[in-house]
Amino acid sequence: MKRVAYVLGLPVVLFAAWYLLSAGSESFYAPPLSKILESFGKTWTLDRLTADVVPSLLRLGAGYLLAAVIGVALGITIGLNRWVRATLEPVLEFFRAVPPPVLVPVIMLFAGIGDGMKVIVIVFGCVWPVLLNTVEGVRAVDSVQIDTARAYGISGPARIGRVILPAASPQIAAGLRQALSIAIILMVISEMFAASNGLGFTIVQFQRSFAIPEMWSGIILLGLLGFGLSLLFRLAEGRALRWYHGLRAAQRRS
Amino acid sequence: MLEVSSLNKVYRSGAREVEALRDLTFTVDSGELVCLVGPSGCGKTTLLRCIAGLLEPSAGKVRLDGREVSGPPPGLAMVFQEYGRSLFPWMSVRDNVELPLKQRKIARHRRTTLVQDALDAVGLTGTESAYPWQLSGGMQQRVAIARAIAYEPSTLLMDEPFAAVDAQTRADLEDLVRALWQRLEVTVLFITHDIDEAVYLGQRVVMLSSSPTVVQDEITVDLPPARDQLHTRADPRFTELRTHVYEQIQAAKRGAGASS
Repeated sequence: MKRVAYVLGLPVVLFAAWYLLSAGSESFYAPPLSKILESFGKTWTLDRLTADVVPSLLRLGAGYLLAAVIGVALGITIGLNRWVRATLEPVLEFFRAVPPPVLVPVIMLFAGIGDGMKVIVIVFGCVWPVLLNTVEGVRAVDSVQIDTARAYGISGPARIGRVILPAASPQIAAGLRQALSIAIILMVISEMFAASNGLGFTIVQFQRSFAIPEMWSGIILLGLLGFGLSLLFRLAEGRALRWYHGLRAAQRRS
Repeated sequence: MLEVSSLNKVYRSGAREVEALRDLTFTVDSGELVCLVGPSGCGKTTLLRCIAGLLEPSAGKVRLDGREVSGPPPGLAMVFQEYGRSLFPWMSVRDNVELPLKQRKIARHRRTTLVQDALDAVGLTGTESAYPWQLSGGMQQRVAIARAIAYEPSTLLMDEPFAAVDAQTRADLEDLVRALWQRLEVTVLFITHDIDEAVYLGQRVVMLSSSPTVVQDEITVDLPPARDQLHTRADPRFTELRTHVYEQIQAAKRGAGASS
């Protein structure tokens, strides 16, 4: 009960403040929140949700999952092999430093403006935190755990699947969490550049046609979406890494 | 049977060379329980990793049951000193004990029996679904011992397994090791820095010198096979033996001091 109050406390206060402060607003660009909320209900009907939000989420999901698979697979290969790591590390640092949005026009050149382009943009932005965190996690696997696996003949795929991957999983999860927020940003940006549907596209459409309350409602929906996804992520992580949080708590007690 | 002959290990990094093991030769007969003691920093870990096939020696040979060790041998199970790092924290106690058996492709019902018997043998019945970190240090080391015996090894290698547990738990675990050894008739090589523990547990005690390591001395522990914490440790012969081992270890330390 107390936790719920803590979680909801500040958002409720902020929302109330926005509501009250904007109540008598005459500004065209910052309409009263009551008006925004009114348009929220009218704008985001079931039709619109299936036409615009679902495609966005599908691109997001495809790009994110692909980035996760590529990042983890490459990360394990690089993390386990000193020579590969030494060769690739400088290049990886360079690619990571390139802000992914600048690649949207470039990727558009060869991938067109369809769903493929958006998925590639998301993959390209998300793969780095996953990859680099996986490499770090794999490198940091306890030498005693590796020795144990070797001494008991746990080799090949079993060593990777049953020992190295779980040992690196807390770090991998940290990478996936970073990647999730990047994925949402890139989903919107890629749709703002060139699209015929999607959340980013719709928000830009509203802005260009001066449908300001509708535009604001889209931004609120985007915020809620991001919040919901990160909540989902935390639930999934809490389940998958239950052992890790328990271990940490046990170590703190002793 | 474990044979270590003229084992030598030199670590090289650039132009620097560190000779950890100089020339080690000893054997452990099948079904024997031998303790290795030495001053701290005597290359015990290096020796152990060579025997377990985790480290390649620079010269010399390790043979286990007549076959030369070139990688981790299938008939050897190991209990590490750092139980907290050697057990996998993401697996339950049952899965920890079962994983090496799965890798051996042992049928499911046989695995279940082996895991259950091993956990019963170390007194951990009922903890199967707990995570290792939910257990005390002594119980975690019991899990590690259960994992080792479920593996049905011919030889059990124990690397200072009780160095990190408190004295009372330690006494219990020592008795557990002797009981398991007598029941399962495995060969046990037990490495420790505790002289009393070595004499209490072993049929023989091999004393190592300081690094670069050679065998300093070797004694047969002629105490009766039925040992218990109270009477064995009060036995005058126990005191004599531990004094002898203690003197040899001290001599080994002085030897190192004189040569360096």
